[in-house]
Amino acid sequence: MRDFPLNNVSPFATMPDGQAHGAIHIAPVRTGFVFHVLGQATGTIDQTRQQQLQKMMDAIAPDLGGELRVLSPGQWFWVGENDVSQGRFGEIAGQLPGEFALSDQTHGRVRLRVTGARVCDVLAKGVMIDLDEGIFGVGQSAMTQIGHIGAMVTRLDRDSFEITVLRSFADSLWHELHHMAAEFNGPHS
Amino acid sequence: MSSLVKCPHCGLRPREEFTIRGEVPTPRPAAGADESVWFDHVYLRDNPRGQHREYWHHSGGCRRWLVLDRNTVTHETGDVVDASTLKSEGRA
Repeated sequence: MRDFPLNNVSPFATMPDGQAHGAIHIAPVRTGFVFHVLGQATGTIDQTRQQQLQKMMDAIAPDLGGELRVLSPGQWFWVGENDVSQGRFGEIAGQLPGEFALSDQTHGRVRLRVTGARVCDVLAKGVMIDLDEGIFGVGQSAMTQIGHIGAMVTRLDRDSFEITVLRSFADSLWHELHHMAAEFNGPHS
Repeated sequence: MSSLVKCPHCGLRPREEFTIRGEVPTPRPAAGADESVWFDHVYLRDNPRGQHREYWHHSGGCRRWLVLDRNTVTHETGDVVDASTLKSEGRA
């Protein structure tokens, strides 16, 4: 546990919530938490292990909710909408079995929501995965890149995506996404 | 899109997400092996024409080391496995 409190300041503090008038809406997610869960590194992504972890999370912190997003074998992001105090985080981390380690990344990985009818056209300019609904369905997550910036892309709905990016790249990505969306957010769109 | 690589964890991804380390060398010699055997293992590479096995790091995705079968003539990629499977088989 760290011995000083972390002050979560949004990297988007001075920015408006996207361009609400356009066809694409880009907005920061200001509440919630991102926990990095590290398990034993194995050569495969183990679904049963993930289900076990999900059960443990539900038992330890039923108030938190949230979901697990696979990062790599034995690694997940536990992401939810409720704010979590550092005291509560310590309690949760202490209750997880020893094979898992928990790291609060709420300050380090920030989230953005990109929504709108043409969102796939916008993201297709940068993301390296196929966004077809049959391949990347609702609820799925993928660790990938948007241009040169590493980010996790999660499909929340058909036309709604959440992007989790390292805090230091968030500002660049924010501007990049606005450039990518510009053609759909013009005065005539 | 250029070459697509089928990461065993992430699925089909473009080459740009990966960092290439190079040939998978022969199994590591015993600690007390002859100096020439070690020299061969550490410094000498075969540079074959045709099928070839390489270490690739999926730096833009799962960040796992992978072992990839690549044809140096056609650049076609074949089998891609997690590098830890080689370790368990005693091949690296």
